[in-house]
Amino acid sequence: MEQVGLAATSEVTLLSLFLEAGFIVKLVMIGLVIASIWTWAIVVDKVMAYNKFKRQLDRFEDLFWSGQSLEELYRSLSDRKKNTGMSAIFLAAMQEWKKSFERGAKSPMGLQMRIDKAMDVSLSRESESLEARLGWLATIGSAAPFIGLFGTVIGIMTSFQAIAGSKSTNLAVVAPGIAEALLATAIGLLAAIPAVIAYNKFSADAAKLSGRMEGFADEFSGILSRQLDERQQMQAQQQAQQPVQQAPRQNIHPHAQSSGI
Amino acid sequence: MQLSLSISTVVHAGLLGWALVSFSAPKTLEVADVEAVPVSIVPIEELTQVVEGEKDADAKIKPAPTPTESQVKVEDAQNTGENEVDLKSLEVPVPSQTEIVSKAPPKTEEKPKPAPEPEPKPEPVKEVKPEPEKPSAPATEIAALPEPAAPALSDPVKDAINTAEPIAEKPLVLPKTGPVPVFRDDVAPAKTAKTPDRKKVEATQTASNSQRESDFNSDEIASLLNKQDAQGGGAKTSQKQAGLGAQTSSPAAKLSQSEMDALRGQIQRFWNIIPGMADGEDIRITVSMQLDRSGNIVGQPDVSATGGSQSTRLTLAGSARRAVLRAQPFELPADKYDTWSQVIVNFDPSQLF
Repeated sequence: MEQVGLAATSEVTLLSLFLEAGFIVKLVMIGLVIASIWTWAIVVDKVMAYNKFKRQLDRFEDLFWSGQSLEELYRSLSDRKKNTGMSAIFLAAMQEWKKSFERGAKSPMGLQMRIDKAMDVSLSRESESLEARLGWLATIGSAAPFIGLFGTVIGIMTSFQAIAGSKSTNLAVVAPGIAEALLATAIGLLAAIPAVIAYNKFSADAAKLSGRMEGFADEFSGILSRQLDERQQMQAQQQAQQPVQQAPRQNIHPHAQSSGI
Repeated sequence: MQLSLSISTVVHAGLLGWALVSFSAPKTLEVADVEAVPVSIVPIEELTQVVEGEKDADAKIKPAPTPTESQVKVEDAQNTGENEVDLKSLEVPVPSQTEIVSKAPPKTEEKPKPAPEPEPKPEPVKEVKPEPEKPSAPATEIAALPEPAAPALSDPVKDAINTAEPIAEKPLVLPKTGPVPVFRDDVAPAKTAKTPDRKKVEATQTASNSQRESDFNSDEIASLLNKQDAQGGGAKTSQKQAGLGAQTSSPAAKLSQSEMDALRGQIQRFWNIIPGMADGEDIRITVSMQLDRSGNIVGQPDVSATGGSQSTRLTLAGSARRAVLRAQPFELPADKYDTWSQVIVNFDPSQLF
């Protein structure tokens, strides 16, 4: 049946290529298609998530620097079910601040440290969620070509064995098996190239966003630290004038830095 | 995540479905079906030099000329023929073992070379093979042609020898103008044409060159040309039955270029010379040797060297001799043994200094 090879060349469709491949090659192809699906799922998810995240950051920064009282901001934010990004960091810091003052903390140095720690934890949690599943992209990007190559090598091996059996070295006999095996590499590259590009883009985006959050955390930490210092000074003055009087309720305000209330 | 996963799945399914439907084999390349033609370069002598034979003879392997009638033994006779004396044949590189008249095309300047025989014979006349075209030779009236045939015909020696030549044809007068019919003699014994290919070509060429075709008699031209190839009649007796003839005769066979290259390479492999010898490039060494059929040197190779200084000459001559001795047996085609039974090798060391 030397016609087999010739007939295969005349009607090579993608489906026939796939169906004629061996078991391992089929498995590799299916795996690579799944990897591609997963890659694009992550890409779509990340694109949406990052856009949303950026919008939230912008909104929060507008809100934060709008001159609104931080107490009010805290109250409105803590009513919300889910807080991400800067608002989560802000809430973590404010919670720590409030807890410390409700229990009447004595050392402002310890308070400062605790607030910083709380913000760090919140920040790392946020950037972790930003970078979630990026590892998948990196893995697919680097491994998919090799997996495809593996499928190709197996396919060429089996097709050469088949050619040896047919006892003909006609190119018409040799070519279809190799073309079919090469499909595995093609799919591997098809999965890997978008994965690599997307990984590079998203890791850069994630770094940018977490940089923004870190900047906010530092700024906020600075504001709180100044407030603490001013508060301490005031307390010392008040204690010197009327030692029994309670400290008035503090209204922290981002724009009150220079005026000091 | 679920949303994006489903989006990705749907898009992939769509793309794959589209690819399965639309992707098919690319257009098959149009390849011109060219078959490889094996080409072998053969010396022209294989076609032009043929051994004459009898048409009605059996197809024998070994071609032989017609048996001679006279059985008078002539000493040292080389050419087959009915002569009393052996006419000198044209230069044949090696005297062949077989009684085959060499048809090597003689050079024109060699033609008037005086034969050693006392009889004055300015032109060697083909005696063994009167061509069927011969009778048309007297048509010398045609102005376009020289008259080399006339002296040959009036040659008394030739007349005496050439019994096969029908003299009766002589008085035949052809019209000076008008179409000259090709005169074919049925009386003359039909012999194998010597160079049928060449004749045909010439006939067509003359036909195309001349405006008045009738003036040209292709047979005549062919006969004239054939006379060029003619040789003196020999005196050697031939007892062998006439063969059918062959396209190639062994004396005419020549070593092809690749065979010569092979021989050269075989010797060159063993030729070791010390580079840097003074005036080595001026020396030319000639080694002539006799080979037997298995390619081994018979006796000692004859080495002669010229030019250069004495010591260098001796050294190089020694190296050439060693090269030749070590290179044997030479791998040469056995069927052309007559050609290479005697080999002269020229060594030129100038390229090596």
